[in-house]
Amino acid sequence: MSVALRVQDVDVLFGNDGRFPTTESKALILPRPVDEPPGYRVGLADVNFSVNGGDCLAVLGASGDGKSSLLRTLAGLQILRVGNVEVNGRDVTTLPPEQRGVVYLHQEPVLFPHLAVYENVAFPQMLRGVPKRDALRRSLEWLERLHVSNVSGNMPDALSGGQRHRVALARALCAEPAVLLLDEPLASLDPAVRRDVRAALLEARAASGAAMVLVTHDLDDALAVATHVSVIDWGTLTPPAPPDALLASPPSLAAARLLGVFSEVSGEVIASDIGPQFRWAGGLMSAPHTEPGPAVAVTRSHEVRIERADVQDADAMTIIERRNGVHDVAVTMRNGSGVLVVLRTLFGTPNTVGEIVHVTLNSARVFADHWRRHV
Amino acid sequence: MKRRFSMRALLVTALTLFAIAPLLMLVVTSFARGWFYPSVAPSAVDGSAWADVFRDDSHRVALFNSVVLAVSTALVGTVLALPLGRTAALSTSGVRRTVALLAFTAVALPPVALGVGLQLSVLTLGLGGTVFGVFLAHLVPALGYLTLVFLGVFTRWDTRLEEAAATLGAAGMARWTHVLLPLLRRPISEALALGFLVSWAQVALTLLVGGGAVRTLPLDVLAMLQAGQDQRAAAGALALAIPALIVLGVSRVATGNTPAVVA
Repeated sequence: MSVALRVQDVDVLFGNDGRFPTTESKALILPRPVDEPPGYRVGLADVNFSVNGGDCLAVLGASGDGKSSLLRTLAGLQILRVGNVEVNGRDVTTLPPEQRGVVYLHQEPVLFPHLAVYENVAFPQMLRGVPKRDALRRSLEWLERLHVSNVSGNMPDALSGGQRHRVALARALCAEPAVLLLDEPLASLDPAVRRDVRAALLEARAASGAAMVLVTHDLDDALAVATHVSVIDWGTLTPPAPPDALLASPPSLAAARLLGVFSEVSGEVIASDIGPQFRWAGGLMSAPHTEPGPAVAVTRSHEVRIERADVQDADAMTIIERRNGVHDVAVTMRNGSGVLVVLRTLFGTPNTVGEIVHVTLNSARVFADHWRRHV
Repeated sequence: MKRRFSMRALLVTALTLFAIAPLLMLVVTSFARGWFYPSVAPSAVDGSAWADVFRDDSHRVALFNSVVLAVSTALVGTVLALPLGRTAALSTSGVRRTVALLAFTAVALPPVALGVGLQLSVLTLGLGGTVFGVFLAHLVPALGYLTLVFLGVFTRWDTRLEEAAATLGAAGMARWTHVLLPLLRRPISEALALGFLVSWAQVALTLLVGGGAVRTLPLDVLAMLQAGQDQRAAAGALALAIPALIVLGVSRVATGNTPAVVA
């Protein structure tokens, strides 16, 4: 598949007052703004990525990080002052939303309340002047593919939450977009509807061949749908990586924290004859490519090995608490110097509270702790 | 429970009587010849007053003027108020407040005070005593009311509908014809009706700006009343009320099943 969406050196503007800096005044008689309006600032800088047709890039970020602003900028709904956006090799940077070949799906599905479901889905085809009969046939095809043809005659207000999402998706796909932008489509859905909409997204990806960009704050959603994941890290976007690669080697400490599946331990990187070493409460480990100074190591639960220790072991720690989570167990330990360490490990670890243990991190990424280095 | 029901029935009955009694009185008076206090019944019943109202050429001119003024005020007022209300609602709060204040001023000023101001302006433009001058005068309060209507509509308007339409391929005009106008059917119908009624019932502005040269139905009814022609005045008043009721009814029917479109 060729590149369907290429984003180069884009700066995304944020509204300080919570309003989006729209490309077009919603009013009829106000002029179209041509420059960055007062009260806006660059929230995401130097954004670069590309997405192939049929692939899905998930952009992970916390609330307020600019995920929606990024999508609105790509859709042409928000001012783009710096950078370029190409769709199927065509520069669409200055084109209005309707000429970009990009469909933007809001977090809450926005269906036209005066049109029945089949008319909603046929809407993009009708706009292109496709004969009504053909447009409605295509509409029913997409409704069938997304398993909502049984509600084709209903009005939008008679649909359930999951059905609304599926109909909005069918309408977006009926527009035959080169790029589909999904703004947290799974947020605020109950688990059953969430599974339903995830399945619909996967079906849509397979059926349409469109490049998809999904923004979310939920790693599970990203992993369920995306072929690549990028993380918003201190006002910029990390390079897209396959989910496995990202989890194996997060690009930054902030990204690791956002992914939410890592334990972290604080320590210090020291220089030694065999290269930089990370010294933490549980001992020493290699820390290549990290400058000496305060640092943080991140590791996943299956990389943590907790074993009964000899009392003589200088790095031994005492378990003071075990707390079960959904996916793993959080074990709190204290070493001889009183330093507390909390690590998540797999279920089935037999150690009990009060036991003296030795902890080995089979694999960990070590990052400079900039905050402690500058304080 | 029974007591509450009785109280409600009483209130509804009282309200109905208040609304219907004057109309009933008009109907009866319009057919009653020579009915003066203390007679309990008219000396004769006939439809001569109705024949006079519709046969008299001057009344026909007044009716024509009233219809022309009301229809044009409704159309032009709606066409101007829609973008004005939309612009204000989607602008900064300062612009919104200013437009709302101006619209309120046009509505809240006593008609005579507004009329004197407008009379001076219209005379300056050389439009005193013309139908066009009266139309401009009617437009001022109508625009105030209608701007407030659309300001309210667009303050709660869900702009995501237009965004969705745009990214699905709808350009500016297509967004209006396929999304905005169908969804605005109810407020537009109501605005047209309101604009019509504001002009239809105007007396003070018509009198002050028209200077007696522009005759409308309300002015004719007033003149008949002043001349002691109660039977003709009643027929004229009913002729004045019927189109207003028809406009209201049509507006309600036209907007019966329009979906709500606010966020």
